[in-house]
Amino acid sequence: MLTTLPYELPELETRAPLDTHRSKVLPEWVDWNGHMNVAFYVTAFDQASGAFMRNMGLGRRYVDGKLGMTFVLETHVTYDRELRLDAPMRFTTQLLARDAKRVHLFHEMYHEEQGYLASTNETIVMNIDYATRKSGPWPVPAAERLEMLWETHKALPRPAKAGRVMGLSKGIR
Amino acid sequence: MIELDTAAPLDQHRATVLPAWIDWNGHMNVGYYVVAFDQATDTLCKQFGCGFEYTRDKIGMTFVLEAHVTYDREVKEGDPLRITTQILDHDAKRLHYIHEMYHATEGYLAATNELMLMNIDYATRRSAPWPDFAMERIDKVAAAHKSLPVPKQAGRLIGIKRK
Repeated sequence: MLTTLPYELPELETRAPLDTHRSKVLPEWVDWNGHMNVAFYVTAFDQASGAFMRNMGLGRRYVDGKLGMTFVLETHVTYDRELRLDAPMRFTTQLLARDAKRVHLFHEMYHEEQGYLASTNETIVMNIDYATRKSGPWPVPAAERLEMLWETHKALPRPAKAGRVMGLSKGIR
Repeated sequence: MIELDTAAPLDQHRATVLPAWIDWNGHMNVGYYVVAFDQATDTLCKQFGCGFEYTRDKIGMTFVLEAHVTYDREVKEGDPLRITTQILDHDAKRLHYIHEMYHATEGYLAATNELMLMNIDYATRRSAPWPDFAMERIDKVAAAHKSLPVPKQAGRLIGIKRK
């Protein structure tokens, strides 16, 4: 386990939910239906996960310094409303749970100007040891930040769209 | 329309991991797994007459309502992919199915993608029943897939499992 990180960490943002990440629908994200394609919602959410990781102290320098990586294990997306080219997006991120090497995150994507909910993404991200490419515990400074974040996020109500199991209402035969 | 393939599961879709799909971790990025899976959805929809031409000719569209991906193992640039598709359920306007992505030569499972797809009326951009030609084909493929075991990745709830 890494006990230190060899770079200066950004100032910790403890506001819950995290509400810092902004983005825009790029031309290459739009498909033949004239809206953001399903896959690029996941790309956009992955960048929001990146913002959460940077806040923990695990940004690009963590990977470039060959210290560690973070891998997504699983992800669940609800597509609530379409987004067109150039639509500005605002993301909020709630920490639902954490352990020694994983975080369970819930992102909400809003049209930043019109305010509507476009999509949600529930995801599990795991810390990875750079050399072995296998899971390993968070570096100590990141784990300390994670505990501070948990203190501010744990009282938030659980989002209605978290913990969904997919199915038609009559269920799988 | 193309000849209907009632193999269970559907085992037609092949792809290769493109350079643009690789991220700074040196493997296929999480978003591009979904790009690859979405192309497998096109292969499925073509079976029902609801592929690209369906939208190009302004007949209808298909929208994804919900998606669940499990990332089971890494794939790297140039890796060949084989994607199989199993229909789990359907109704008058929706289709519930799961894709499984395998490394085509090494055989390991790389990811799964469970999806809920809805038929959309082109003019109103709102949900609408499948056209008759599609419904007839969906019924046949669903019947062929009905006896397949449900993959363990289907119907998953996300969470950190306590040991």
